[in-house]
Amino acid sequence: MNLFREIWQSIVRRDPLSTDKGKSELVFLNVWLHIHPAKVKKENMKFRHSFYLGFITFFLFLILVTTGIVLMVYYRPFPPQAYQDMKDLEFVVFMGPFLRGMHRWAAHGMVVCVFLHMCRVFYTGSYKKPRQFNWVVGVFLFLLTLGLSFTGYLLPWDQLAYWAITVGSNIGSYAPLVGGQLREWLLGGHSVGEAALVRFYVLHVAVLPAAMILFTIVHFWRVRKDGGLSRPIWKLAPPKAAPLVTIGAPAASAAPLKASAASSTKTYGLMEVVTGKPIFETITPEEEEDTVFSYPYAFVREAVALMVTVTGIMMMSLFFHAPLEELANPAKTPNPAKAPWYFLGLQELVSHSAMLGGVVAPALMVLALLAIPYIDRNPSRRPSDRKWAIWLFTLFVVINLVLIVVGTFFRGPGWALVPPWVHVVGGAE
Amino acid sequence: MERRLQQTFFALSILALALIVAAAWQANTPSWKTFQHNYLQLEAQAEPNAITKAAVLATPPEIHQVMLTGLQRVDRCTTCHLGVEDPTMKDAPEPFRYHQGLGPHIPSKFGCTICHGGQGLATDTAGAHGNVEFWPNPLLAKDYIRASCGRCHKEGEVPGVPELTEGRHLFETQGCRGCHKLNGVGGSIGPDLTSEGANHRAPEWLEKHFLTPNAVSAGSAMPNFHFTKDQARALTYYMLSLTSEDMGSFYSSVRLIPGPVYGRQLFDEKNCIACHNIGGVGAKTGPDLLGVTGKHSPEWLDEQLVNPELVYPGSSMPVYDLDVNSRKALIAFLTTATAEDAQLILSKKTRSLTPADIAIEAGKQDFARFGCVGCHGTELQGGVPNPNAQGGEVPSLLHVSDDYTKDEVIAVIRNGRVPPMDNPAGAAPPLYMPAWKHVLSDEDINRIADYLWSKQQKKASADAW
Amino acid sequence: MNRRSFFKLSWGTVGVGALVSALGVSFAAILRFLKPNVFYEPPQAFKIGTPGDFPFGAPTFLVEEKIFIFRDREKGFSAASAVCTHLGCTVAHFQSDQKFHCPCHGSVFGADGAAQHGPAPRALDWFEVTLARDGQLRVDKDKVVPSSYRLMV
Repeated sequence: MNLFREIWQSIVRRDPLSTDKGKSELVFLNVWLHIHPAKVKKENMKFRHSFYLGFITFFLFLILVTTGIVLMVYYRPFPPQAYQDMKDLEFVVFMGPFLRGMHRWAAHGMVVCVFLHMCRVFYTGSYKKPRQFNWVVGVFLFLLTLGLSFTGYLLPWDQLAYWAITVGSNIGSYAPLVGGQLREWLLGGHSVGEAALVRFYVLHVAVLPAAMILFTIVHFWRVRKDGGLSRPIWKLAPPKAAPLVTIGAPAASAAPLKASAASSTKTYGLMEVVTGKPIFETITPEEEEDTVFSYPYAFVREAVALMVTVTGIMMMSLFFHAPLEELANPAKTPNPAKAPWYFLGLQELVSHSAMLGGVVAPALMVLALLAIPYIDRNPSRRPSDRKWAIWLFTLFVVINLVLIVVGTFFRGPGWALVPPWVHVVGGAE
Repeated sequence: MERRLQQTFFALSILALALIVAAAWQANTPSWKTFQHNYLQLEAQAEPNAITKAAVLATPPEIHQVMLTGLQRVDRCTTCHLGVEDPTMKDAPEPFRYHQGLGPHIPSKFGCTICHGGQGLATDTAGAHGNVEFWPNPLLAKDYIRASCGRCHKEGEVPGVPELTEGRHLFETQGCRGCHKLNGVGGSIGPDLTSEGANHRAPEWLEKHFLTPNAVSAGSAMPNFHFTKDQARALTYYMLSLTSEDMGSFYSSVRLIPGPVYGRQLFDEKNCIACHNIGGVGAKTGPDLLGVTGKHSPEWLDEQLVNPELVYPGSSMPVYDLDVNSRKALIAFLTTATAEDAQLILSKKTRSLTPADIAIEAGKQDFARFGCVGCHGTELQGGVPNPNAQGGEVPSLLHVSDDYTKDEVIAVIRNGRVPPMDNPAGAAPPLYMPAWKHVLSDEDINRIADYLWSKQQKKASADAW
Repeated sequence: MNRRSFFKLSWGTVGVGALVSALGVSFAAILRFLKPNVFYEPPQAFKIGTPGDFPFGAPTFLVEEKIFIFRDREKGFSAASAVCTHLGCTVAHFQSDQKFHCPCHGSVFGADGAAQHGPAPRALDWFEVTLARDGQLRVDKDKVVPSSYRLMV
């Protein structure tokens, strides 16, 4: 019996969770949990501050990795076997439709959530100093999400996939000088074919997920090192707040940083004492009083967010089948042929001007997003102090949404303006 | 608050459990299992004792799959249609009934969808029968299933499917190739028909189209050939069989059943009796064919049909474009041919032909084979409507020598011609003369011109020869 | 135990139970997902044609199925596996000595399939041959029979 106890204690070396020390050690003696601080600010955990969108995005990514790996077992990236494998998933593989559905809906969900997360971070001004670079990392994560979704779109090799990718990759070919090269480089040919499918597969299951994981690590590390989640705007200190008085890692130690004599009941861990002002947000003694242990307060909230995400995706998958159209047929273009929905705003622009929609707009959008923290030099995070920024960003979001909605629901055969309630009969003929 | 969150988490865990169990339950109860269960009960009824009954009933459910690499298909129809190869299931209810009259085409070698259509990969009734969105190839209606024979039996006669033979015959004699390409040869006014059967058009659509082209395809340039219902059906069969699928060697090796009936038809069609006779009945230009199969080996005869001059230097026999199985059929006919056959064939002809006629006959063959008859008519009468062309229709060729020299006509055949417009501001006429110089040799074109001149009405015939 | 702690306990127990079962079921479901329901390979039981398709004397080798079909004038049909029992190479049947020879490590099997030379640990398998209701011969590789097994037609 003692041996078992010894083995257990060699694995779990923390004190009982009923003690404060145990609660702290649970976090920083555990490789998976120590991305959390031992203590978190109560207000930061409020749902209405972050809506947990970052967490949900990450959980969706976990669902995608898990379902993606098992789906790979039944997938051959060659036409037309790829399509046959989709049919096998649908008709013979145990729970094939369910897992494929989860993968599909989680992918769409991730595009949505990563965008909403970006909006939240903008509106709360959380990209401001010292978090500028993490915003840039976030924009790359957004682009990687789109890339993963786009490359995954082709894999079923049905009409929907084939033509969405044909149209989508043609949007990119309008780039001056490199456009055509870029398309050949991506497709491995002049049109979407066998070579394109293998390339998209490699990007989808190896290159992009690896990049995604690396960037996610940096993103999370930065969140932590930049002082945790930003303070909710309703908790911002009044303008011209008192100067910061303490230094040190924000919450790596559970100890309140008071200038009091070292207590015999507390432990302190400092790697080194250095001089200079820290770049990250520090904590005031008053705020310290406002913190609680991550266990269980933060963990239970994250666990609820995880379960909401998982059950939500499961329900979607149970009640809505992932679409699968006819086998890809290069000779028969559906009318209208549409890019994946998140690129329909661009396709809408391309239908007016190839140069504008294919080159200028996407390039400007990405550049503008990347540059936001460096252009917006206003240090205040209060909405009342940054009316212009909020107006501009809202305009950006609304224009994008309107274009996507028009492209998705209001474009019929021949890209003619057709309201969605008008049913088009025999559009494909 | 904390307690509420904890409860929410546990409630969501229960929900997650319920969802995953529901998904697993759904995955574990496909409809095909019910069919297999019912079939086993049916089989068990026939078993004599309780032990064998129990053994039958204990058969675990599984998906039956026929892999047909040669046909690039995987058919799972036998997952539910369990009795198709079992004669004792002759009177069983569907989907378990035995498939009668299959001959050598057993499902474990041929699958089901190659003839019936439908979605072989599917394992539910609606999906497998293809009556679902995004599956363009539903089960063929009973009336049209036999058209599928033509997918493997690409030539000659298929017993029990006269429609296919008739359809192919019509296609080659009514001038369809004038406008439509088939396997690379033909005009380009109408769509290429090489894989028309793979376009998954409804058979009813095709049939209507043949009866009245404009009825289903508005503004179609296709002339109304005034086909009968049977002819439209026959052409529909032929179209459905044109899938240009790559059949593995196992399936294509037996594509023709060469028989004397088809041979006799060819003998008549190619007008062999114009030069040859059988037992003295017929023309004397060529040798008597009675008992010719006794005198020569089949290989020799086959070679003679391919290269008359090679085997028999100086032979005046024209080269007929016969594929290997048509030749086999002809030779099969010659083994059985008697003078009576010749008499019967000859009785339909008005006169025997002279050697000079033979060259013209070859021109006529070309005129039909390359589809000129589609617009200009089998009797050169023209008259196919061609809106906004001068005269509003394809001109008759019976008086062509009044306005053109033979060289001018040859130039038109070689280079093609767009008909002059009635109203220069209107739309271009849908039909035009394609350029044939890339398809036909000069010799072919000359022969066609000779044929045209031979058919000119009295007044012009003086300068034709 | 007061009402409050009972409530907590039951919620906790049921909740943790549900969580653990959900994880367990998911894991089991994925394992089941990975087990194929159909095999993209020749079936284990298959029809090989009518008895008339097979000559007397020398065995007919069926390449895809890797079996030899023997037809003996007096005794009838039998089917031998062509897979060497040593490491799975395909054996050849020599008409000269009526034996099976494996090219990989020189195993030799007698006319009845018994291992005679080389590293092969046991005799070649013989499979059940039956006559299906439609008159075709049917071999079932899942049913191993003694080498003396014969189907008389």
